[in-house]
Amino acid sequence: MRAYVLRRLAQSALTLLGVSLLVFVVLRVLPGDPAKMLLPDGAPQSAVDELNRQLGLHEPLPVQYAIFIRSVVRGDFGQSFQYRAPALRVVTERIAATAELALAALVLTVAVGVSLGILAAVRRGTRYDYASTVLAVLGQSLPNFWLGIMLILLFGVALRWLPTSGFEGWRHVVLPAVTLAAFPTALVARLTRSSMLEILGRDFVRTGRAKGLAERAVVLRHALRNAAVPVLTVLGLQIGTLLGGAVITESVFAWPGMGKLVVDAIYFRDFPVVQTVLIFSATVFVVINLLVDLLYTVIDPRIRYS
Amino acid sequence: MREKIRASRSFGRRRFITLGASGLAALSLPRAVRAQAARSGELVAGLSERMLTLDPANHYSISATSVHRHVFDPLVDVTNDSKFVPALAESWRAVNNLTWRFNLRRNVSFHDGTPFNADSAVFTIRRVRDNTKLIKSFVYQDIESVEKDGDYAVVVTSKRPFGSLPAHLSMLGMLPASAGRNEDAFFQKPVGTGPFRFTSWTHGDNIVLAANPSYWKPGIPKVEKVTFRFVPELSTRAAALRAGEIHVIDRVTPDLVETLKGSRGVKVFDVPAVEAQRWIFQLAKEPVKDQRLRQAISLAIDRNVIIKDLLLGYGRPVDSPVPPGLVGHTTLPLKPYDPEKARQILKQAGYANVTLDFVLMKDLYPKQLEITQAVAAMLGEVGIKVNIKNLEIATAREMRSAGTYDMFFSGWAHMPHDPDWYFGQWFTRAGSEKLTRYNNPRVEQLIAEGRVPDPKVRQAKYEELERILWDEEPEIWPYYSVAIYGVSDRLRNFEPRGDYYVLLSDVGIA
Repeated sequence: MRAYVLRRLAQSALTLLGVSLLVFVVLRVLPGDPAKMLLPDGAPQSAVDELNRQLGLHEPLPVQYAIFIRSVVRGDFGQSFQYRAPALRVVTERIAATAELALAALVLTVAVGVSLGILAAVRRGTRYDYASTVLAVLGQSLPNFWLGIMLILLFGVALRWLPTSGFEGWRHVVLPAVTLAAFPTALVARLTRSSMLEILGRDFVRTGRAKGLAERAVVLRHALRNAAVPVLTVLGLQIGTLLGGAVITESVFAWPGMGKLVVDAIYFRDFPVVQTVLIFSATVFVVINLLVDLLYTVIDPRIRYS
Repeated sequence: MREKIRASRSFGRRRFITLGASGLAALSLPRAVRAQAARSGELVAGLSERMLTLDPANHYSISATSVHRHVFDPLVDVTNDSKFVPALAESWRAVNNLTWRFNLRRNVSFHDGTPFNADSAVFTIRRVRDNTKLIKSFVYQDIESVEKDGDYAVVVTSKRPFGSLPAHLSMLGMLPASAGRNEDAFFQKPVGTGPFRFTSWTHGDNIVLAANPSYWKPGIPKVEKVTFRFVPELSTRAAALRAGEIHVIDRVTPDLVETLKGSRGVKVFDVPAVEAQRWIFQLAKEPVKDQRLRQAISLAIDRNVIIKDLLLGYGRPVDSPVPPGLVGHTTLPLKPYDPEKARQILKQAGYANVTLDFVLMKDLYPKQLEITQAVAAMLGEVGIKVNIKNLEIATAREMRSAGTYDMFFSGWAHMPHDPDWYFGQWFTRAGSEKLTRYNNPRVEQLIAEGRVPDPKVRQAKYEELERILWDEEPEIWPYYSVAIYGVSDRLRNFEPRGDYYVLLSDVGIA
């Protein structure tokens, strides 16, 4: 087990190095010049050249990459071109907002998605099943942008129950979290349903019922635990996506998270910020996936790593 | 709309008497008490663009300028009708063509109590010239020296005439000289001399400012607190205004006006902007380098249809490359719509099967794609085929530098309320080298001669050069933009600005 974890950690480091190189190269291959994006449209070429020099972009690419990696190892991700502040600081300032939204959306996803899935499986073929199917189809097919605006118009403008946008108290997180959770909730509900249906047909479930276990215990303790592995895999991937930032939801709700930050940074060719966010997201992804793999052994004792 | 502004400014006899009486009563109170009594409430503005920095010298962002104007004062202020008026400089004059002298206001302090004086002005101007990493630095490179003359006067000399210096200084907030000791720390929690003090900044979300009770302008500000929220998505900004969470929003598009007008407690203001839309040609490239082809294109475009049907009337016909109010504006004959003549010119010049690439910077200007599609249809009528290339901004600009376009959808907001930057950038050989490749020595000479401080000389030079441009049509000026704002009816004294700034120092709330 220990050897497995160490091997996975070493693989992760390699993955991250690969990501850093890929991001570095792709950003610089894109057409567009950072100084030109920072200066007002139509600033003189001399000003563009001077600013590029000041930003260190006149060096050859391999030199720039070497400088970048050397600094990253020391924890320095460079200065953001747009903010003129350390890129790491610019990104970490957004982590709280991103984490808050991701967590709220995740709680909703698990609570609503798993419950709906179980309900649909247990009451297969009833109106509960059909209702949950309809909700799941809606959740997966409604565009985030449209759903967000509709929620704002209904709960913010017409009913005035919740704030339309912004990042202040818990009331501000409700609408963006619902918007963001719509898709993964639907996904988890569908997956839980099919996974539960498969397990509920197994012999051990029949045995459980035959020996007089309460239906609640059969479903929640025995069936759900066995059905959880594929759901957990999808949740792990979703957490990575949620923490990487939810661009559309953040835009609609003016939420100061990392998704919008990185899109603006790509737009303005703010290389240090894009690099920092992507390396951060990749790290989160790699770590969460490792944790999920390890969690399998807890949920399903048949799974062993050696 | 002009009627609307006028209506809001005019008031009846009864209100005049009431205000007069309360004004007299207020005059009998000491100044501090008076200001205190008049100041109440808090304002929330929703801006379209996120502020990235608190350094007034390090951006040309309109939203950031809106915020900074409340914290920092410039030497020179500019009114909505483009008149330059005193701010921290009480007066200024051109000593000669290369020298400006600014006499500074006395008894003004920064928010930390440091007095404002010539050292502050010298530091601020030298800093923006010398630190070429600052975004505004390139504008100040002509400055030779910045010296103080006593504690309350500054003399600026330049290598060549710099008539637009006061205009540019209207965009440069003054800093205390001590800011230079640790700029990073200073701009985390800056102090200025402005009507509001910096309180807090949640990056990407909002900035909160509190009233400066000892502001040098009596009776200002009118409220205790101002919050600027950054809400880039227009539909969200509009929803927050309709829900009463925000009191003013900028950059409203024409198609949202009716919705806002129909919302309870919301008013819509619009005002002519100091911005001309311009579709530039690549002047070194066949076939658009041919003036006859450009003339035919111009004749084939029905500008009125664009203004009336696509912009729903929120645009104005162009009668001069420089918008009204600015030095150099003149009245030239409106460009006619005459597709028949366009066909004739094309035939005479031997142009058949012309295909042009029209490049757009994605999502930058309201309605730009629809407008370009309409233009493509209009040009199709006279036999010119248009390929629309709607590209991400950085890619489009790269294409423009490389010169691989025929037409390019662009605009120019005259942020300093002065056309020198526009002319110098787009109509000199050096300036347009990586842009349009414009080259006309006579125009270049007129631009150089128009850099002097004397406004009469400038007007004459600019009028002559604009007549040349009007004939050459190196670009199409389809319409002047209109700035539209959504405003809560609780606001008092809100003035919609033609430069898109949201200025709230003089605004109260009921």
